[in-house]
Amino acid sequence: MSLDLTLDGQVVPFQEGETLYEVASRHGDKIPTLCYDKRLDPLGACRLCVVEVEGANGPLASCTTPARAGMAVRTVTEDLERHRKTLVDLVLSENPKGAEIDPLRGLASQELAQLSVRYGSDGTRFAGATSGHSRFDDPNPMILRDYDNCISCYRCVRVCAEQEGDYAISITGRGFGTQISAEFDVDLEDSDCTFCGQCIQTCPTGALGDLRALQHADLPEPITATRSICPYCGVGCSLDLLTKGETLVGVQPAMDGPANEGALCIKGQFAWEWVQHPDRLTEPLVRKDGELVPATWEEALDRAAAGFAQAGAEHGRRSVYAVASGRAPHESAYSVQKFIRVNFGTNQIDNCSRA
Amino acid sequence: MPASPTDEQLIKRWQDEPAPVLPLLHAFNERDGHISREGLEAISAGLRIPLANLHGSVTFYHHISGEPESRDRPRVCMGPICRLNGSEQLLHDLEGAEPMACAGRCDDPIPVLQADRALVGLSGDKLQQAPSPLPPLNPGGLEECCLASVREPDRATCSGYMRTGGYAALAKAREMEPEEILQVLEDSGLAGRGGAGFPTATKWRAVRDAQGGPKTLVCNADEGEPGCFKDRVLLDHDPHAILEGMAIAGLATGAARGFIYLRYEYPQTLAILERALEEAKEHLDGFEFCVRRGAGAYICGEETSLLNSLEGEHPFPRNRPPFPVTHGFEQTPTVVNNVETLASVAPILARGAEWYAGLGLGEHRGTKLISLSGDVLRPGNYEVPMGFPLKTLLFDWAGVPEGRKVQAVTMAGLSGGFLGAADLDVTLDEACLRAKGSFLGAGGIMVFDDRRDMFEIARQSMEFFASEACGKCFPCRIGTERLTERLSEPSGALAPEAWTEEVRAIGYTMIELSACGLGKSAPLITESLLRLFPEEVSAKLEAR
Repeated sequence: MSLDLTLDGQVVPFQEGETLYEVASRHGDKIPTLCYDKRLDPLGACRLCVVEVEGANGPLASCTTPARAGMAVRTVTEDLERHRKTLVDLVLSENPKGAEIDPLRGLASQELAQLSVRYGSDGTRFAGATSGHSRFDDPNPMILRDYDNCISCYRCVRVCAEQEGDYAISITGRGFGTQISAEFDVDLEDSDCTFCGQCIQTCPTGALGDLRALQHADLPEPITATRSICPYCGVGCSLDLLTKGETLVGVQPAMDGPANEGALCIKGQFAWEWVQHPDRLTEPLVRKDGELVPATWEEALDRAAAGFAQAGAEHGRRSVYAVASGRAPHESAYSVQKFIRVNFGTNQIDNCSRA
Repeated sequence: MPASPTDEQLIKRWQDEPAPVLPLLHAFNERDGHISREGLEAISAGLRIPLANLHGSVTFYHHISGEPESRDRPRVCMGPICRLNGSEQLLHDLEGAEPMACAGRCDDPIPVLQADRALVGLSGDKLQQAPSPLPPLNPGGLEECCLASVREPDRATCSGYMRTGGYAALAKAREMEPEEILQVLEDSGLAGRGGAGFPTATKWRAVRDAQGGPKTLVCNADEGEPGCFKDRVLLDHDPHAILEGMAIAGLATGAARGFIYLRYEYPQTLAILERALEEAKEHLDGFEFCVRRGAGAYICGEETSLLNSLEGEHPFPRNRPPFPVTHGFEQTPTVVNNVETLASVAPILARGAEWYAGLGLGEHRGTKLISLSGDVLRPGNYEVPMGFPLKTLLFDWAGVPEGRKVQAVTMAGLSGGFLGAADLDVTLDEACLRAKGSFLGAGGIMVFDDRRDMFEIARQSMEFFASEACGKCFPCRIGTERLTERLSEPSGALAPEAWTEEVRAIGYTMIELSACGLGKSAPLITESLLRLFPEEVSAKLEAR
């Protein structure tokens, strides 16, 4: 049996178990949200996604309201938009800097900034006290904890518990004084945090930010995102490599990555600085009289080929074994196994990040 | 003096009990005088609860803390009525004292809580332990339900209870089919007396018919609404009536286990309940009771927040649906009933549905306890017929001081906002009060005569809501703060018209969009202030 409801005057089908927000999103409605992350149990905190349902006693949060056959739902009315503006004004009144956040802070970091444009909010209406206590003193080199921009949507706490299973941070205090902290407010490195960075990427205001990426905040070029697959293990997490000009400036997980749905681990998220490290080899080196000295590609390849040939001739084809680095591009890893299999007829290959 | 128990002993004592988190926290708090870091780590390991979550929950509650020696610090009631009686001075005078939200003794101020001692007195040298005041005799001579036997001597003991007809209804219920019990309740018209007014029989039936189990019953004794002290008098003076009501509810719903979630501020009630349970064991056979002491959080009076608190989760209210009747305590079908509702059950079963229904006036059925306090001559709990005229209660029963005029009364404690002098011609029932933009709720009414600064009372009220807001939903978390700021000091738009526009806009969105009753009702304070006292508001703003 097909199930239908009326959404802004149009009859639309839905599946049993879907929420009104899910139905509306599938039909292209841009219902504003701040506490919503489709991977997490809906919390119903921000109340921006409220809709009017005929017969209901007041607006309902669409993210927590199950769709029912025959419902008549309106997602945009003058009254709803007035409430949404009041809400965004209230949020901005507490986080006046929320409208100007560097996108390098995280994947979702522009959500509040975009709503401030949509609702013409600049933080002046309802001005008053602010609540966040930033932890700029947390010495960890990866996660910026700028709680001055925190809006208490708890997406970080929820992603940490529900997706990563770390339960490293939680909600402390009450009401306007609510803060996000690890147990006893310890630094993250003393908590159960595994620095997966998922909290950064789901934060809708950039209160949590990617400190490594932010080192490149001052580069003037626009950010370009290039889709790739994390090379560090066999899971195959999709991610976007962020570049400014020729400089790699960060990594963000792909929400539509089939293997990871927006998740990464500490390595995929933060271990990319070596790409531009000054210690990296930039030209072939060969050993002469015990010293590594620059050489031409031709000379280096000849020396390597001779070495492989000699090993094979003296000790047989099983004397050679190749380990590819997790930091090498996928194409290089592919070439290494091809080289061993074709040249030596063995499967003596491995990768340091085999998982 | 026995050696204090070890971590392991305490954990072993509680780890296999239902809802062990709160009692374990209290046990460590009692042993150490605070919740120490090591203690919390032991509880986390013992109950396998993430440490960060446990720490977060501890910081949520008023009365437990990681600060050394915090348990024994005196707490002084800052409810509106106690402030009128000088509680701010008392707070100042008592060394190391902390303010606490209304502690439910507005008829006999000022309560001071110190560890497990509930003291009362108007100044530091007069503080003493004293039983909760008994309700005044019904001035109209009207028939009562919950309070009918509460003034009987020894009613709180099992023998005294038996002597005045106690446990007869339970014996009768044991001979009845669950459906018969439900039918009596349904015919009586008994509805939730905590404020929601949901038909009790419908709730019970939903749990009886719900899939899964075990089924659970919860008595909501987390009476935190300022100006409400009715549950306290019932529990202190008629505890067996609540136990009997719960046991009957167990028979009707199929629940074999019941929690009593008691607010932290009633330690003497805890002792009374424990004694009553001990004495009544043989009568209550087949039904397991677990008393759980809250830790100081108004929001835990909200039933889903209460359930999260019982489970040791962060005490935010839950989203509904699903409702507790299908997904309550640990996701099992759960009845959550107010103390007064449960106290009404045995009399209804004993005397019949028609009797109870007939106690109401006109089309209204049954009675309601009203906690009346403030500027009246005889404050206290009154049981009135549903639909009873407020003016009769106020002027004929309780009486107002000579030469004074009632300026405003609150409804539903603080949650219903103010009714002004011109609004007093109402009857005490939801239909009438909702038509006035207020509601009866749990039945707390605070009276303020013409000496009182209503702007200041409104400020205190909003400060209470801001202090008790849980922090989950945006309109309430930020809105209660902004409204408190606007009532407290020059902030936001300053010109009276713009100020009013801001206060109204925030309130409107809070009422419509907040996730639970706290945020939906807090703005009734500012709305009614603006409606009833526009000139006082303007004068106040202009004087700033």
